[in-house]
Amino acid sequence: MKGRIKAHPILEFKREKRVKFYFEDREIEAYEGETVAAALHAAGIRVLRYTSHRNRPAGLFCAIGKCSSCLMKINGVPNVRSCMTKVSDGMKVRRQKEKGDVL
Amino acid sequence: MISNASVVIIGGGIIGTSIAFNLAKLGVKDISVFEKSYISSGSTGRCGGGIRQQWTSPMNVRLAMRSVELFRRFREDIGMDIEYHEGGYLLLAYSDEEMGEFESNVKMQNQEGLSVQLVSPGEIKEKFPFMNLERVVGGTWCPSDSHANPQIANIAYAIAIKRMGVDLNTHTAVDGIDIQNGEIVGVQTDKGYVKTNTVINAAGGFSHEVGLMANMDIPTHSERHQILVTESINHVLEPMVISFKKNYYVRQTMHGSFVMGQSDKKPAQGNDLGHSVEFLEEMAPKMVHDFPFMTHLHIVRQWSGAYNISPDAQPIIDTAESISRYIFAVGFSGHGFMLAPAAGEAVAEMVVYGRSKTMDVSNLNMRRFKRQIKSEKNVV
Amino acid sequence: MKFYETIVIGSGPAGMVGATILGQHGVKTLLLDENDFIGGQLVKQTHKFFGDHAHYASLRGFEIAQKLQDGISSNSNVEVENAATVMGIYPNNTVTYIQNGKKCKAYGKKLLITTGAMEKQLPFVNSDLPGVYGAGAIQTLMNEYGIMPGSRFMIIGSGNIGLILAYQLIQAGAKVRAIVEALGKIGGYAVHANKIKRLGVPILLNHTIVKAIGDKSVSGAVIAEIDDKFKPITGTERELVVDTIAISVGLTPLTELSEQAGCKVEFIPELGGYVPIRNERMKTTNPDVFIAGDLASIEEATTAMIEGKIASLEMVQELTGKDLEKEIENEITILALFRSGPKSVKIRSGLEKMGIKNLAISKPRINEPKEDIVGKLRAVLECDEEIPCNSCEVSCPFGAIYIGENLNSTPVLDPDKCTGCGTCVNACPGLAIFMLKEDVENRMALVGIPYELLPLPVKGQKMWAMNKNGDYVCDVTVERVVKYPNKTHLVYAKIPIEFSQSVRHFSFIKKESPIICRCEEVTLDEIENTIDSGITDFEELKRLTRVTMGPCGGKNCKLVVLGILSRKTGVSISNLSQGTSRPPVKPVEFSAFLKCGDDK
Ligand SMILES: Cc1cc2nc3c(=O)[nH]c(=O)nc-3n(C[C@H](O)[C@H](O)[C@H](O)COP(=O)(O)OP(=O)(O)OC[C@H]3O[C@@H](n4cnc5c(N)ncnc54)[C@H](O)[C@@H]3O)c2cc1C
Ligand SMILES: Cc1cc2nc3c(=O)[nH]c(=O)nc-3n(C[C@H](O)[C@H](O)[C@H](O)COP(=O)(O)OP(=O)(O)OC[C@H]3O[C@@H](n4cnc5c(N)ncnc54)[C@H](O)[C@@H]3O)c2cc1C
Ligand code: SF4
Ligand code: SF4
Ligand code: FES
Repeated sequence: MKGRIKAHPILEFKREKRVKFYFEDREIEAYEGETVAAALHAAGIRVLRYTSHRNRPAGLFCAIGKCSSCLMKINGVPNVRSCMTKVSDGMKVRRQKEKGDVL
Repeated sequence: MISNASVVIIGGGIIGTSIAFNLAKLGVKDISVFEKSYISSGSTGRCGGGIRQQWTSPMNVRLAMRSVELFRRFREDIGMDIEYHEGGYLLLAYSDEEMGEFESNVKMQNQEGLSVQLVSPGEIKEKFPFMNLERVVGGTWCPSDSHANPQIANIAYAIAIKRMGVDLNTHTAVDGIDIQNGEIVGVQTDKGYVKTNTVINAAGGFSHEVGLMANMDIPTHSERHQILVTESINHVLEPMVISFKKNYYVRQTMHGSFVMGQSDKKPAQGNDLGHSVEFLEEMAPKMVHDFPFMTHLHIVRQWSGAYNISPDAQPIIDTAESISRYIFAVGFSGHGFMLAPAAGEAVAEMVVYGRSKTMDVSNLNMRRFKRQIKSEKNVV
Repeated sequence: MKFYETIVIGSGPAGMVGATILGQHGVKTLLLDENDFIGGQLVKQTHKFFGDHAHYASLRGFEIAQKLQDGISSNSNVEVENAATVMGIYPNNTVTYIQNGKKCKAYGKKLLITTGAMEKQLPFVNSDLPGVYGAGAIQTLMNEYGIMPGSRFMIIGSGNIGLILAYQLIQAGAKVRAIVEALGKIGGYAVHANKIKRLGVPILLNHTIVKAIGDKSVSGAVIAEIDDKFKPITGTERELVVDTIAISVGLTPLTELSEQAGCKVEFIPELGGYVPIRNERMKTTNPDVFIAGDLASIEEATTAMIEGKIASLEMVQELTGKDLEKEIENEITILALFRSGPKSVKIRSGLEKMGIKNLAISKPRINEPKEDIVGKLRAVLECDEEIPCNSCEVSCPFGAIYIGENLNSTPVLDPDKCTGCGTCVNACPGLAIFMLKEDVENRMALVGIPYELLPLPVKGQKMWAMNKNGDYVCDVTVERVVKYPNKTHLVYAKIPIEFSQSVRHFSFIKKESPIICRCEEVTLDEIENTIDSGITDFEELKRLTRVTMGPCGGKNCKLVVLGILSRKTGVSISNLSQGTSRPPVKPVEFSAFLKCGDDK
């Protein structure tokens, strides 16, 4: 049952415009309004980065921008909270390793 | 807390702890240090951590050069890694006039034995291709300038002096100095009284207030300087970069974060340690202009600390004239961290030998303000 | 910069009700929230709420949010800005927020801060692996985005949130393998529990998670049974094949903005941790700043709404000079009624700690606790739900425990009569009684804990004190072990006074060191070693280990670290650190300062 929920007894999910973005060069489909972390989860991807000090895999934890666990490199910018960033067409998303390069 | 101290040091910042370290090294026993809060709670823990030898006053150059010698041996001498890194300092000039000043500074600095060179915009670009050098006409480059973690340095000194038997009292404020017939006989703290005949004022931002405890009107005042830190990223910026014209300094710490600050147009006076949103508003455009890669870098925290400033922005290291054995090492402005190893050594020698031996610091006395005041110019 | 009479920060139930009332009274108000929509926690809740009908009871959470939103959008005095993250409050009530990547500034004569709470974390081995989420994160993914982060779930914690999360997961089609609960009883309301029991979810009481397993991401969890005395029973460890673990062990208020606004905060565990000090009318120590909702104390949507009402009415009164005394007093009475039940004891005592008197309101068959005698060795009865049990009353040789005619009523202790004999601790079938004697002067407390495990600790045994969730709190040395023929023994140890209401178990020290600070990846061992090396000042400890210095600013780990330090130094938590929060509350791009968003 991983991925997008198709039917729900209470809620209705309005999914309108489709967008495509790239995760590690792989094309991923998503819906406008979804965050990067949510869209990756819909595609079954939960490892969002590797930590800089102990090189451990890390993922989403709070989903509301409070914990810094979900930092990714988005459109070349490192340390972006993927749980607070909305996907957009053509966006390039990468797992972050180390602390991130700015050059 | 001991009841009878040979020397009482007021202030557990980098200056106070460095003095205590050097005194202990010279074999002085029963040293008491009083710090009203925690170690590194004052300016030291709030500072940028830059260690620069490129000054306009020869005295500052010498003190800084001696400090660099000592910082290089810090790990062996004091026993802790303080993230000391010789990444150099790059000073930027924006006009021929400023470049002219830089030239005469370099001449003087070279005479003092410091290896500094003038650099052209082309040379800067080659070293640091990621910088936007618009309107920069040149600069100076000193590869042996450096930076370190001031909080760890302060705590390292504190750990070392405790190990050496110094009576270090944190969360203990000195409330008064007991003087009888022009002689110091003791110090009153909020946790009790200590007998002593020697007091050293190393109270940083509170140097004036601690001066008044001995009826001394030390010409220092404190003003707020703001600073910020970003998230950590992989290393890109080796040196500390300073622009006097644009009013900023910036460095990347060994941990990967960037630390940067400026002087506010109208700095808040005193030890008010608040912060303003204007600081961020002013810093952001100039940093992003000169370092375009910072555009999407995240600011993680802002804070502020006090510069304790003397009339010429140089430290005052002296003994009181009217009271015996009241010594002060104050007014370090924006460069007390980098001068601490040498200043501590000099003050310790003053206490033990009556004068500083390794390096003559007598021209940092108070009498200089009676003559014409010649200010240190290379300040942010 | 824009000017308003009031600015409301956070649009959960507290903020929405507050903004509505302010608007209704003609006060020009700005309502800010960092989400794309208003509603706060309510939006994620698909279940029907408790409460009374005046406060939208029996509507679902998101429906309540919709109703409140309708009230706001029809009010021309209230301007709403969404996707607006407040990053700092600066002098002169200057609220700075980031919207669309731009910085905006707004000034309000008065501020109402209703930023709610965030989830507490629970360190266990591999708790930082992808696939371990806060319960709220799963609700966000599932109920906001309609995305399931996994297929087989395990939930840790059987409080209302954990119970409700399980229900919501099943509604959305996932499997919930288990709810793991360290205590011997379900934390949440029995009705929520029954709901998921009916759906076949086992609630594993006296169970704990030992660790998460997985290489890149969670592929299982090791849980173990703990006997009725909280100690994992060797040989009962088993692996649950789950791909997702949800942590739901409580919330703690988001106090940073109120700290920046100069409001004094204090550590009051009964209210959720560090909370802003405020009066009965929700006014903080900064006379311009009011708070309400989970920020003031971790409670419920209903109390959040009433508090929002009280705060905003008082603000209207102060701003306009209108006389709203009657209305305010009325709301205060309604609030007191809500808090009169046994489940609100903590809130009430927390409020009293803050100097707020609780109105005396009579309740049938719920015995009010008698005034405590702090400092005396006495029994602590933790039997809040009305269950048919009176062993304690019967066993007490001194008549110190009263339940009354109806054995369903909750037991109360008369501390005057209690001799500290411990008979009731030994007798209680629910293991709901503890012994406690505070040493207020030294900020320590002797706590006696019923113990039925093997091996039985001996005097001098070094152990870990655990809280009611089985989380590590502090190290202790066993002071005394009293053995009873019926094998419920009593183990005494001293703990920091702050933990006297939380420590309810002593466990033997475990080997693997959990990560305490997620941002900087600092382990318990590292923190302890640094403290052992002589660094006993929180500020110094922080600078040396970098714990709490990461981008999250210590939101996740500060309290845990303070607890460790407190235990090592014997200094109480409240004396170890004052709240100082510095902007930005969350990392902000430089570029936000290049553009000015408030003069659009
Ligand atoms: C934003 C900022 C950036 C800076 N950047 C740099 C830099 O890059 N390089 C550099 O070299 N310098 C820098 N500085 C300057 C440097 O921080 C100071 O010059 C230096 O830390 C001074 O050290 P100190 O020990 O004299 O003062 P402090 O560190 O302030 O120590 C004085 C101590 O005395 C204590 N005290 C005061 N009164 C009493 C009393 N009555 N009883 C007991 N204790 C008392 C205080 O609590 C304090 O801890 C910067 C300063 C600021 C504010
Ligand atoms: C699973 C679950 C089930 C629950 N069930 C019930 C129930 O059945 N009955 C009941 O009464 N209660 C229930 N509650 C509790 C109830 O939801 C909360 O007590 C209530 O939502 C608290 O309201 P609030 O307004 O204080 O905060 P919140 O609803 O948390 O709202 C705070 C708002 O502030 C915003 N914010 C925070 N920081 C900033 C910032 N820096 N800038 C801008 N905006 C910010 C947040 O985005 C959020 O929208 C439940 C809670 C949960 C999690
Ligand atoms: S300790 Fe003794 S007197 Fe006190 S409550 Fe328990 S049984 Fe009663
Ligand atoms: S015997 Fe124990 S479980 Fe029963 S009512 Fe008394 S305290 Fe509660
Ligand atoms: S998951 Fe916590 S900040 Fe994104």
